[in-house]
Amino acid sequence: MNLERLPNNEKLGLCRKYYLGGFAFLPFLWLVNVVWFFKEAFLKPAYTEQLQIKTYVKQSGLGLLLWVAVLTTWITIFQHFRAEWGVVADYLSFTIPLGIP
Amino acid sequence: MGLVPSKWVLMLLVCWLCKNVNSSSVAQKIYVVVKNTVPCVRLLNATHQIGCQSSISGDTGVIHVLESEADLEWPLSKGPNPPYMVLLESSLFTRSIMMKIKNASSRVAGVAVVIPTMSPPEFSPHTTCPNENTGVYSDSYGPDYAHCNTTVWNPRGNGLSYEEFDFPVFSLKEDNETETIKQCYVDHNLVENGTTPQYPLCALQLFSHMSAVTDTATCMRRNDVINFSINPEMVCDPLGDFNVWGTIRPYNKSELGHRDNDSVVIAAARLDSRAFFWDVATGAEGSVSGFITLLAAAQALRDVTRESPPTHNILYAFFQGEAFDYIGSSRMVYDMEKGKFVIDLNNVHSLIEVGQVGLRNGSELFLHTDPVSRMNDSINDQVKKLVTNLQSSNAGMNVSLVEPGVSQPLPPSSLQRFLLAQNIPGVVLGDHRSAFNNKYYGSYYDNAANLNLHYPDNLTTEEQLEFVTETAMALSDVATVVARALYKQAGGNESQVNNINADPKTVTQMLFGFLVHANNSWFQARIPPDMKLEASPPNFYVGIASPLLAHAKTLTKIVQYLLANLTGTATNLTQDQCKKPDDLPDESEQMHSYFWIRGTFPTNGTANNTLCVRASVRMSQALSPAFDLREFASKTYSTWTESRWKFIEARMFLVASRDLEMLTLGVGVAVLFTSLLVTYFISIKADVLFSSVREPASAAY
Repeated sequence: MNLERLPNNEKLGLCRKYYLGGFAFLPFLWLVNVVWFFKEAFLKPAYTEQLQIKTYVKQSGLGLLLWVAVLTTWITIFQHFRAEWGVVADYLSFTIPLGIP
Repeated sequence: MGLVPSKWVLMLLVCWLCKNVNSSSVAQKIYVVVKNTVPCVRLLNATHQIGCQSSISGDTGVIHVLESEADLEWPLSKGPNPPYMVLLESSLFTRSIMMKIKNASSRVAGVAVVIPTMSPPEFSPHTTCPNENTGVYSDSYGPDYAHCNTTVWNPRGNGLSYEEFDFPVFSLKEDNETETIKQCYVDHNLVENGTTPQYPLCALQLFSHMSAVTDTATCMRRNDVINFSINPEMVCDPLGDFNVWGTIRPYNKSELGHRDNDSVVIAAARLDSRAFFWDVATGAEGSVSGFITLLAAAQALRDVTRESPPTHNILYAFFQGEAFDYIGSSRMVYDMEKGKFVIDLNNVHSLIEVGQVGLRNGSELFLHTDPVSRMNDSINDQVKKLVTNLQSSNAGMNVSLVEPGVSQPLPPSSLQRFLLAQNIPGVVLGDHRSAFNNKYYGSYYDNAANLNLHYPDNLTTEEQLEFVTETAMALSDVATVVARALYKQAGGNESQVNNINADPKTVTQMLFGFLVHANNSWFQARIPPDMKLEASPPNFYVGIASPLLAHAKTLTKIVQYLLANLTGTATNLTQDQCKKPDDLPDESEQMHSYFWIRGTFPTNGTANNTLCVRASVRMSQALSPAFDLREFASKTYSTWTESRWKFIEARMFLVASRDLEMLTLGVGVAVLFTSLLVTYFISIKADVLFSSVREPASAAY
């Protein structure tokens, strides 16, 4: 979809939809929001709805960073300690690698 | 119309050309697949994993043929082209070399062992104290005897089978393929006068990635963890098979548990054996000598037990899986304890076990008893009676039955599992006073040559089958002694005892079939018509357990049919009646088993001699109770499992130096970027490069 062709209020509506959608444990929507609306929010000359779009993009960015931090920490811990945790780790795993502890 | 015939002609031409064109893939030109290899696989128990593991995409190493132990320096430290694949002759396949390789495993990718046809002077990869943790001796029962403190049964054991290696170990035969490998080594890898060999070098790649890890509890848990996966991966399987048992008086198979006023003498032997490499066990002295003796004794007892039946019943038991912590005997004892077997432990009068009896020094046969149980006076009396019965059964035989003379525990035997459950008087027969006479216990070399089984030259297979060897005469003497002693022990008529004689012909035919050539006429006549036998001797490795009787090991099935034939009766039932004997008034599948067998070796034009044999011979499952109880970390029962794997192969190819590989990769990447750049520039300047006559602009869209 080409944002150039949309009127400003529709742009705002789209940005809000992606922002709200990301709260449903969907951080990728926030990533899309940040990447797609970055130019609109920060690099275009000002227009009425731009302030709101800017807020949405900033908050999406924050949420995204939080998710990245949490996921990275959990993934590192799990990958490191999976072998030691034994039974619990096996029940948490989706696929268990063959041939290594 | 002219077009159609020419189209057909063209198609015919193309088809003809395709038929005459050969293709060969590039892979075939590079890799030489080594076909006759046997890997070493991973086995797991309650606490450890043993065996070998390769990485998932195989382990590649530059071949190095080891000449001596000092030559290990080259692959371990001096050689400039690690990792190496060490090729060992069997004389160098020792514990010290394997341990050194294990400790330096970053430079060694794997080991290939060349197995010769002539056995080395001695080799036993089993431990020095077989089955030490699941026997009867422990800290609470005969602590002085536990862990072979008094007698080391297998002093030649180097324990290699029970070590864990994280590189693959494959075995090669001494044949053309191995010659090709050695020739490739000589051509490319040989170090001459101190010059380092130049790339390309000859390399070997071994694939034997095992799925299971850590121990049995972990792998059984991972078998069951379903979670969200669509098809769960099985990673290991428990070891096990079936025990074969038969009685002289039949039992109704649906009446389980204790039988009032019934006393049974058990005659036991073990069927299985193991080796370092997977699935190639031969167990000539370790198991064959024992169970053949018992089969011959069963045959010797057939007629006399029908004419003058003894007071007690006799149960012949052949246990599978004994090499792996007594799988078969522990299961039978468990079934007896839980009332799931036709008798229970209180019905057992005594037990005679035929152990390793093939390598007697002179005429001595030793009677091993358990000193701890003999501290009980009544048991001691019964054991003494049993020993006397055995010692007085050797009239006319070249067998002198001797007790070891020192206070010594029982050797590893199924009797130990019975003693764990109940104090039973029992004797284990063996050709060894203390340490085994068997120089190849638990090894691939425990074959016909180990039993001194020699046939004169220039005999056909049929003549070899009928030739009575000295080994057969010796074993048949032991079988006679066992049969007579069993008869006396079961309370038979004393006057009949000296009429009991084992048949050396039967013994020699069985020795031939189990150790030299299984597909012979004697075996063929005693198995069902649709059962196929290989020419090579059957495999004695217990293998993976299966709940279906039809999937029992070939060895177990052959022993079942032989026992049925040697103790049962021929009937004139037809094939349909043989399958459904319950329809007939006198026959019952509850009391007997009915086997439809071939009768004679099939040759063209001879009459069909198939017949139905009725015998009180059955198979019972030999799966460790630990798996039924789901106690995968059990210390009392066997917990052995075998890992699963996806793909096992060995292949040889020439490998290039790392520098050349990096150079090729670099050139490829450079070509990629150059082509991208060139395409970009061409597309930018397209209108300059590809000027064409402009068509009049017509509105299109």
